Amino acid sequence: MNTFRNEPLLELRRSTVRNEALAALAALDAKLPLEVPMLIGEDVVQGQVFSSVDPSAPATVVANAHAATAAHVGDAITAAERGQKVWSQRPASERAAALSRAAGILRSRRYELAALAVREAGKPWAEADGDVAEAIDFLEYYAQGALALDGGRPLIQMPGERNAMRYVARGITGVIAPWNFPLAIAAGMVSAALATGNAVILKPAEQAPACAKAVVDALHAGGVPLEALSFLPGGDEPGKALVADPRIHTIVFTGSCAAGLNILQTANTFVPGQRHIKKVIAEMGGKNAIIVDSDADLDDVVPGLLKSAFAFAGQKCSAASRALIHKAVADELAERLAGAISTLRVGPAADFGTDVPPVIDIAAQQRIQGYVDSARPLAQGDTRDDGFYVAPTLFHGLPADHKVIQEEIFGPVLSLETVDNVEHACDLVDAGGFALTGGLFSRSPRTIEYVSDRTPVGNLYINREITGAMVGRQPFGGGRLSGTGPKAGGPDYLLQFVEARAVTENTVRHGLVV
Amino acid sequence: MAATTQERPMDLERPIKEIGTDLAARMPRPRLVSTARVEQRMTEMLMKDPALRAALFRFVDVRPACDTPADLIRHLHEFLEEAESKTAQRASTFTGRPLARRPIAAVAGAGVKRMAQQFIVGEDAKDALPEITKLWKHGVETTVDLLGEATVSETEADVYMRRCEETLRALAGAATKPGQVNLSVKVSALTPLLRPTAPERGIEGARPRLEHLLRVAKEVGAHLHVDMESFDTREAITELTLDLLSQPEFADGPSAGIVLQAYLVESPEHLDHLLDWAERTPRTHPFVIRLVKGAYWDHEVVQAAQNGWAPPVFTDRRECDRNFEQLTRRLIDATPTVRVAIASHNLRSISHAAAYADARGVGNADLEFQILRGLGDDTQAAIAATGRQVRAYCPVGDLVAGMAYLVRRLLENTANDSFLAAHASGTDTAELLEAP
Repeated sequence: MNTFRNEPLLELRRSTVRNEALAALAALDAKLPLEVPMLIGEDVVQGQVFSSVDPSAPATVVANAHAATAAHVGDAITAAERGQKVWSQRPASERAAALSRAAGILRSRRYELAALAVREAGKPWAEADGDVAEAIDFLEYYAQGALALDGGRPLIQMPGERNAMRYVARGITGVIAPWNFPLAIAAGMVSAALATGNAVILKPAEQAPACAKAVVDALHAGGVPLEALSFLPGGDEPGKALVADPRIHTIVFTGSCAAGLNILQTANTFVPGQRHIKKVIAEMGGKNAIIVDSDADLDDVVPGLLKSAFAFAGQKCSAASRALIHKAVADELAERLAGAISTLRVGPAADFGTDVPPVIDIAAQQRIQGYVDSARPLAQGDTRDDGFYVAPTLFHGLPADHKVIQEEIFGPVLSLETVDNVEHACDLVDAGGFALTGGLFSRSPRTIEYVSDRTPVGNLYINREITGAMVGRQPFGGGRLSGTGPKAGGPDYLLQFVEARAVTENTVRHGLVV
Repeated sequence: MAATTQERPMDLERPIKEIGTDLAARMPRPRLVSTARVEQRMTEMLMKDPALRAALFRFVDVRPACDTPADLIRHLHEFLEEAESKTAQRASTFTGRPLARRPIAAVAGAGVKRMAQQFIVGEDAKDALPEITKLWKHGVETTVDLLGEATVSETEADVYMRRCEETLRALAGAATKPGQVNLSVKVSALTPLLRPTAPERGIEGARPRLEHLLRVAKEVGAHLHVDMESFDTREAITELTLDLLSQPEFADGPSAGIVLQAYLVESPEHLDHLLDWAERTPRTHPFVIRLVKGAYWDHEVVQAAQNGWAPPVFTDRRECDRNFEQLTRRLIDATPTVRVAIASHNLRSISHAAAYADARGVGNADLEFQILRGLGDDTQAAIAATGRQVRAYCPVGDLVAGMAYLVRRLLENTANDSFLAAHASGTDTAELLEAP
């Protein structure tokens, strides 16, 4: 039944593929800036224009988007009330087919969309391509998952009684998407809601509206009715209005912890006229640590740490920001990492030779620079000033209460801490507030078992990098302050978007079971 | 007309059988060699029991990272526990009583260091010299490969380059005739900048160091051979090597070469590229192309599967073997523009190359055979006894580096399709010599 396969990644190690990618980028550049209006029900709506820019060359405007106000949010929800009726009544197979057609449209635009993520989010090619492939994966995976869910669950049956349990759509869903996976996470959150029969209003990240619009366009073209999916670019205002509106049933959010906690508070505040309890599905970041045991193979640890901490400039929820290293190997590893960090090339996302791209915007650059300047680094890579760049930075032996160790940085910063043993490292991880991803380098089966048992994180990676979760292979999401728990791209995710309905029929008539 | 007849591989079958049967007759069965009895028993055991095989390889792999005997024993027990639970879950892999594994593994553990020493000729050039000069005295040519940790920084790349230079000079000091010094180098050890999506970075990074080594090799009259590694780095390694060797200063030396991996589906096109370059680039010493099957098969297949790519390697062994023979014939046809090295332990591949070279009148001046020291010693002796030229690939390095090398070789040679394993288990010579 389940035939899902991950979308193949572009084989960028081949020059022919790289040339095709560069041609797609040139074609995109000729079209910039893109126009990104609001899409409210059947209407294309203009508003106050704001721009997304290329983080590698901030003078380049990638898209001119139209900002939604609270009033636009009201209009979109009104449209969604119609859309909810229409869409939820479509058979699950029809909804799944629409999502699958949308996946096909994204597939046919692979290079173009990767180029767009390179430009608008500053994602290096491999990361940008992974973003497109993951968006396709989410659409296909949730389409299949919703079909499976449509059959309901078996219940205990008694003579004279027929029991059934079905899943039904919760209702209008507000999606607030991040910029760091501008295609994949938007596609994932929106398609999970759509697949299960919910109308959706998407508020994309301010920094990457054009990427999100590409996903919405594909879904509309695939057959999702216009009133079942509205699109509201903008800043805080539409996001806040969306969360507060009593007609919203489910809020799906990926972003910072502070914003997530605000959403939870607002969503849990009863508004007169509200006839249901809102549900919040939130993924809110982490402070991810990799434990390195004394029996680890440092030849694997060095590239694993570099990739986890510095790929996409550390701007993934899953990125590593702490390495907890057994004292027996700490000095050697620190020395090798210090040497390795200077081999990282900081540069434009579009350059295939780039290891560390710029960060998303000037606010992020200044915030991260504050951490970089807060202590003396053990080693540091290069930086440049023609984009929002931050030098990849390695700290070693900072005090436990230092903000570099305590706070989520979301940038190319890694701090090394020496630990007495793996138990000590687990204690440190356990003391943290976040619990998203974690890593362990060890060749001892018992140590692997010990850390697997003790770790609070949602995703533990052993003897590899801790980023790059694949749909259907590494269901993604954390606990504690990292989020509300459900695993995106996993078998349980869709359950968040439905309500179960049990129907029991008495089949006894005149004393006879009929 | 005669040439056309010779090109038909069918006509080679008879000489291949003759040469192969002769070589096989000169090779002792490993089971008859008393010093190899433990290894032989282990190989047999490992081939029958995949769970135990995995446990032992993981043990060999972690051994250098274990500081104390207690730590070593702890790891060994954990691996065996896991192997036993796996066998319990999958009854089909159960071939022996689980408890019988412990003493065998203990023997293996104790033998690990000795086995590594069987493959590795010394910790460094100085340490390896007695062993290498001994091989020279017995008429066996060598190429030295410096094992080491992965290169992750410029400093580490410099260290590797200096080790290469010291080795070249040390070997040159001991050499008794010209052309005796031969070093195989890894571009991935000469730079931390190899990136699959940006070959130019690795090329720029390794260029000054490889250039330096070419100059040293020229100065001391050594041959420098650039090893091939995973497919990710193939383009960078090839382009860098050909570009440097195109420089006027290297036209009259040193002798140099590259590797062609027959397991790559695109290897015929790679050979087109290499031959085209060789024809356009006259050199005093003919360009040497070493034909190998390729040592990164698992890596290539796993990486391709995880990314959804078509594997760059043949997944059918016979197809790969046929390609090896086609490339062999094309290489031999390209002599003397290139000099050919057939690096294989496969009796059929070796016999085929020898038969075709004989038919083409290509001799030791243009063709040599290469084997891995410690694994192909019997093959080496048999080939040498028939008057053909053999070179032994000799790894040099410490125990840490040696273990990784040992794991790779053991995995290769206990795999189900391994020629050596088939030979060791007593497969009939005629079967070993069948056309792929």
